[in-house]
Amino acid sequence: MQSEVFHHFDPSASSGENGGPLYGRRAAVQSGICVRGWPTEAGSRALKGFKAIEDASVVERMRRAGAALVGNTRTSELGFGLYGDCSGKALAEGLADIVLMTDTLGEARVAAALAGLCGFKPSWGRISRFGLIGLVPSMESCGMMAGNPGDIRVGFEAIEGIDDRDPSMPGSNVPPRVNESGTPALPPSAGIVTQCLETLDSVERVAFSRGLSRLRLLGIPVREVKFEDFDLFRTIHQVIGSVEASSSCGKYDGVRFGHRASGGGNWNEMYLRSRSESFSPLLKTFLFQGAWFQFENYEAFEKACRIRARLADESRKLFSGVDVLVFPARRAANHAASAQTLDRIYDAFSLTLLSNVTGQPSISLPGFVTAGEEDLGLQIVGPLFGDERILSISEWLFRKGEEAR
Amino acid sequence: MSMDFEPVIGLEIHVQLNCETKMFCSCPNRPGDDPNRNTCPICLWMPGNLPLFSREALEKATLACLALHCEIQKESAFDQKVYYYPDLPKGYQLSQFHKPLARNGWLEIIGENGAPNRIRIQKIHMEEDVARLVHEYEGRHPVSLVDFNRAGVPLVEIVTEPDLRSPSDAMEFLRLLRMQLRYSGSSDCSMEQGTMRVDANVSIRPRGTDVFHTKVEVKNMNSIRNVGDAIAYEISRQADCVKAGEPVVLHTRLWDPDKRVTSPMRAKFEGPCVPDPSVPLIVIEDEWLETMKSRLPEMPAHREERFVNAYGLSRDEAVLMSSDRELSEYFDSVVRFDVSPRLAAQWISAQLLPLFKEHDENPADSPVTPERLAGLLAMIEREEINANSAREVLKKLRDGRSSAQQIVDECGYRQVSESAELDALVDRVLEENPSAVENFHKGAAKAMGFLMGRAMQASGGKANPRLLKEIMTKKLG
Repeated sequence: MQSEVFHHFDPSASSGENGGPLYGRRAAVQSGICVRGWPTEAGSRALKGFKAIEDASVVERMRRAGAALVGNTRTSELGFGLYGDCSGKALAEGLADIVLMTDTLGEARVAAALAGLCGFKPSWGRISRFGLIGLVPSMESCGMMAGNPGDIRVGFEAIEGIDDRDPSMPGSNVPPRVNESGTPALPPSAGIVTQCLETLDSVERVAFSRGLSRLRLLGIPVREVKFEDFDLFRTIHQVIGSVEASSSCGKYDGVRFGHRASGGGNWNEMYLRSRSESFSPLLKTFLFQGAWFQFENYEAFEKACRIRARLADESRKLFSGVDVLVFPARRAANHAASAQTLDRIYDAFSLTLLSNVTGQPSISLPGFVTAGEEDLGLQIVGPLFGDERILSISEWLFRKGEEAR
Repeated sequence: MSMDFEPVIGLEIHVQLNCETKMFCSCPNRPGDDPNRNTCPICLWMPGNLPLFSREALEKATLACLALHCEIQKESAFDQKVYYYPDLPKGYQLSQFHKPLARNGWLEIIGENGAPNRIRIQKIHMEEDVARLVHEYEGRHPVSLVDFNRAGVPLVEIVTEPDLRSPSDAMEFLRLLRMQLRYSGSSDCSMEQGTMRVDANVSIRPRGTDVFHTKVEVKNMNSIRNVGDAIAYEISRQADCVKAGEPVVLHTRLWDPDKRVTSPMRAKFEGPCVPDPSVPLIVIEDEWLETMKSRLPEMPAHREERFVNAYGLSRDEAVLMSSDRELSEYFDSVVRFDVSPRLAAQWISAQLLPLFKEHDENPADSPVTPERLAGLLAMIEREEINANSAREVLKKLRDGRSSAQQIVDECGYRQVSESAELDALVDRVLEENPSAVENFHKGAAKAMGFLMGRAMQASGGKANPRLLKEIMTKKLG
C-alpha cells in the first residue's frame, strides 16, 4: 500500500533472521534504494513504474541482521535535497525505527537536525553502492537516520564492509579501524573552523556557542582551527556534483524503463521529449550545469578535481590536532525542506558539504546546538574511515546529554 | 594520384577481444546470438548497478598491447565518453581517454620499395562496445530495434601515428597487425565478421613538405582490400579538390563497397570524456606484467628467423609457415618427429593447406595430426612410396584412422624399387611403343616423358621414379 509518507508500505512486514542485532527493528529505506519487486522510483518521473530487480546490498544486509523492512519512503527527486522527502516523518510518526537514506549534500544529517533525530553519513567507500539509484557517485553515501546513535551504530555495523558487487570500494586499502567502538579516548578534543564561524548568522552563532558550551561542560576541549579554503567546498561540490549527475542521468532515456513521452517522430525527438518531461526545473538546472562543464568548460571541471584533492588533503591534516571537527548541521534561516532552486539548496546545505567532498564520516546529533525552539543539530566530522570512532563519541555524548537534561 | 602530392595516413582500429564474458558483467561475449539473449541488469544499465571490470578483458587487452610492442602504463583508468544514442544504454561509453592502457608501440612493415618501415602506434585503450541498432518497418511504420548482445563487449582501440604513406602501406600494416594479434590469442581480428573495424584518417600534402593538412576520416570498410581501395579513392578525391582550388574540409566519409566511392556522412559528434567514479583505477604490477609477457608465444618474426636458421627453410617457406600461430605450431610439431623440415613445409603448403581449406578445418583439430603426417613424410624420405601415392595416402589419412604405414600396406602403395622388376617393366614398355623409341633416337626429348609416363602407369603408379628413369635412360642409351 501507499501513504503520504511511504511509496510502498507493508506494516506487517516480518522481521529478518532471528537473533540478528536488528531483530525486531523496523527499517524503512528511501525509494531510491532498491528492494526487489518494490516500486523504486527515487522520487523521479524518469523511473516511473520501475520495480527493482534485485535487493541493494544494504537491504540484503539489513534483512540478514534481522530488521523488518516496512517500506520505502517518498523522497526528493533522485535524493537531491530534501524537498518532498518523508524519511524524517516516517521516524517521527513512529512508523519505523531506522531509515536508510542517501546523503549527497548532507540530507541525512540535515533531515535529522530538522526532526530532532540523529543522522549519519558514513565514510565514502565503507558502504556498498550496489542497488542505490545514485546521482553523484563520488560524493554520496548511503546514510541513515534514527532516534539515537546506538541504533545508528548497530545499523552501520550491519551494512558496512566490502561487497563484490561494488568494485569502487577501497577494499584492502582501508586502514585498520581508527579506534574500536567502546574504547575511544574520551572526552575527545574538538576543533571548530574559524572560516565557518564567519559564515554564521546571529541565531546560528547563539545556538552554536551554546552547543560548544555544552561540550566544554562535558570536558571536551574546543579550539579553533584554520581552513582558509572553507568557502570553496560549495563551488567544488556543485561543479563536480553537477558533472557526475549529468552522466548518471544519461541512463534515463525512456528506452528500457521509466517514463517515455508519447509522440515524437524519431528516436531523437522521443529522447528529447522523454528527458524534458522526466526532470524538474531544479534537476534540469543541475544537469545543464554539469553538461555545460562537460561540453564547454572541461578545464574548470579538471581544476575543480584538483582543488577537491587539495581540500581533502587539508581536511585530513586538521585531524592531527583534534579528534573531531564540529559544526552546526543546518542553517537557521534557510529551510532545506522547501529549497527548490540550486542556490537555495546549496545555501541550506552549506554546513554539511565538507564531508561529501572529502568523503569523511559525519553525524548530526540533536539537543546541543539550540536557540529557543530551534535545534540546528551538532555535526561531528571525523577522519576518513574513522566511522566507529565518531559513532562511539556520539553515543557517549548522547548519553551525557540525556543525563544533563 | 598526382605525383605532386604525398598522402599522410593514420589508422584507428577497433578490435574485439575474444574474452568469455563482456567487459563489465558476466554475460557471454557472443554478440551474434539471438537478440537480447546475452544481457543482464549491468549491461542494460538498470538503475542501481555498478560495472564489474573483467580481469580477462584486462589480460587479453594487455596481451594485445604487448604483441604490438607497446609500453603498458603503470596506471590507467576509465572515462565516460558522453553522447546520447539508443545504442548506448547509459548515455556514456566507458572508454579510456585520459589514461590509456598502453602507449608508444610499433610494427615494422616492409614498404613497397622492399625496405623496412617502422610504423608507430600512439596508444591503445580499452573500451566497451555499444548495442546494435536494427531499423525495420512494422507495416508502414519505421521502427528501431535495439539488440544489447553487443553492449559491453570488450574492445581495444589502436591508434597509429600518421606514419603510413600509401594504401599498400596501410594494407600491409593491417595484415601484420592482424597476424600479431591473432598470435597473441587476444582476438580473431576478422574484418568480415566485424571483430576488427578500421577507420582511416587521410590527408595529402605537397611531396617534400612535412606539414599536416586537413584530414578526412573514412569508415565502413569490411576488408583489408577495401581499406586500401577507400584510401586510394580518398587520396585522388582530395588531390582533385586541391587541383580544382577547393579546400579540403574536415569531415567523415563512408566507403560504399558496391559503388567503390566514399561519400560524406552526418557530422560526427565528439562527446566529452570525464573520469568514471565507479571503475577502479587500474594499477599494473611488475610481477603481473611479467606473467602476461610469459604468456605471449614466440612471435612471428622470431619464429620466421628460427625456421630459416634452425630448419633451413627458404625465406618464403619460413614466412608462410610462421604466418599463422596454429599453422606454425603444427609445422613445429611435425618437424619434431624427425622429418626433413623443408619436406614438411612443402607438403604442408602444397597439400595440407588446401585440404584444411576444403574441409574448413584448423590445423590443431585436423584428423591429420602432426604425428600421422610425419609418418607419411618419413616414408617419402625413405623412398618407400612416391609422391603420387603419397597424395592418395594423405587423403586416406584425413578420412580414416589408420597410420600412413598401414594405409600403404593395405592399399599396396609401396613403391617398387626392385631393379629386376623395373627392368622387365621397362623392356615391356619399350617393346610396346616402338615409334616413341624411334622418335627418342631422332632427338625428340619429349618422347622420354611419354615413355616414363607409360612405365609409371604400367606399375600402377608405384614405381620409384628415380630408379625407373635410371633404367629407362640406360636401356635407351
